[in-house]
Amino acid sequence: MSKVAIVTGGAKPDSIGHEVVRRLLKEGMQVVVADLYEEGFKAMRQCTCIRCDVADPVSVAEMIEKTVKQFQRIDVLVNCVGGSWGITRRDLISSPPLGFRGLTNCSLEDWRIIVAVNLDAVFYCCRAAAPYLRKQGGAIVNVSSVAARKGIPPGSEGSSGPYAVAKAGVMGLTRQLALELGPHGVRVNCVAPGVISSGRLKRVMALTGKERGPEGPMATIPMGRVGTVDECAALIVALCTDDTAYMTGVTVDINGASYAA
Amino acid sequence: MPLEGLKGRKALVTGAASGIGACVVERFRREGVDVVATDIHPGQGIAVADLTDADDVEKLSGKAGTPDFLINIAGGPVAPTREQTLPELRQGSLKLEDVSETEWSKVLAANLTTAFLVCREFAPRMKARKFGRIINFASIAARRGSDRVGVHYAAAKGGIIGLTKTLALELAAHNITVNAIAPGFIKTPRIAQAGWGDAGEAFIESLPLRRAGKPDDIAGVVAMLCSEAGGYVSGATIDVNGGWYFGP
Repeated sequence: MSKVAIVTGGAKPDSIGHEVVRRLLKEGMQVVVADLYEEGFKAMRQCTCIRCDVADPVSVAEMIEKTVKQFQRIDVLVNCVGGSWGITRRDLISSPPLGFRGLTNCSLEDWRIIVAVNLDAVFYCCRAAAPYLRKQGGAIVNVSSVAARKGIPPGSEGSSGPYAVAKAGVMGLTRQLALELGPHGVRVNCVAPGVISSGRLKRVMALTGKERGPEGPMATIPMGRVGTVDECAALIVALCTDDTAYMTGVTVDINGASYAA
Repeated sequence: MPLEGLKGRKALVTGAASGIGACVVERFRREGVDVVATDIHPGQGIAVADLTDADDVEKLSGKAGTPDFLINIAGGPVAPTREQTLPELRQGSLKLEDVSETEWSKVLAANLTTAFLVCREFAPRMKARKFGRIINFASIAARRGSDRVGVHYAAAKGGIIGLTKTLALELAAHNITVNAIAPGFIKTPRIAQAGWGDAGEAFIESLPLRRAGKPDDIAGVVAMLCSEAGGYVSGATIDVNGGWYFGP
């Protein structure tokens, strides 16, 4: 029986999650896409697409239930949903808000929404999937951010202070779950991407011009380029396979040498 | 699925005669990578070189040309010599006052100078080709400290992390990534022979993954970093230790 993977945030084209889905299918897995972006479902016929608001624990529980009902197992969970905007049903396809939202000037609503989608959601999904992952072992990969390492410099566009804090929480969550699930053969790791040329980045750059990226000035990236969705997805998929069988609790930084932890 | 970006590439692997190095060579060959294997310890298909000696490193470049992947595995807690190329590992823990200045210098040379000399020889060639993946070997001894291997080894491996970060910055613009792998307890035949694995069932049971590592576990991460998955990873130290220590 082939392995079953859940990818949250896999429906938007030109996203890291979307490319992860494509690659897990190539690995021969059956893939469940959990996303609010139902517009993307039509183009993903090889997957089981489930409308899911990962920031809502009831919605997450239903998604896991449907998955298990259909496939009887879960081997892999990749938590890709995240971001500072375009993350709720209301703003899903809107443009990025301009202006820097730091911890001292964001609204309380900003804080609650961003932390809910970037951190609470990972907790809900991992917790709901854990009993099934534990049955035969498996892997969880979370997506953190270079923002968790270095914060978001004021003046940046398209990211936010609450996002940096939530992503640091994802690193802590990854370590804690590694301890709890390791003895059951479930590895839990994390990637921390720097600037990646996803559709979302393109939409930010279209508004702000080339110089000001979501993590600070683009010219400061030592490799002199942003990362590709392909590179990031390939790394995430490698963390789901036996090549990384002895890694758990680890955050792999993928940022073009812009921050060495 | 084979990993993208490995087939047809050229690799130089140091410390390739035994343990993790030999396993990396085998993995690369399975992936269709053309490997030059070097070690101070002679063996089949091994280009013998003492990499603490810049002349030997220069001679090696005649055989290795310009590798796409440079994997610096040579090293260990006991420094080899040309006479004793695969020294026995000591039993028990090595205390500060037991480390002589001679041993300090030798272990630093075997673990840190080797990586420096090999990078200095091959990085300029990679720069000319605008492609390279360098992987250096750190250790959990540099990450969390060690109860066993001694200050010289831990310090040398800490040096590897500084070397790695600095080269990552220096070579980034030339499309060369530089990363380190920090293995935890990897039960190679030599380590098993020294009885390190017997130190404790309790220790193994304290690891989240409840087992010692295998050389294959490290070779997989080397392959990952050389593949498409490693294209934008640079300056990183990857902890491969079963959850023993999570990194900074």
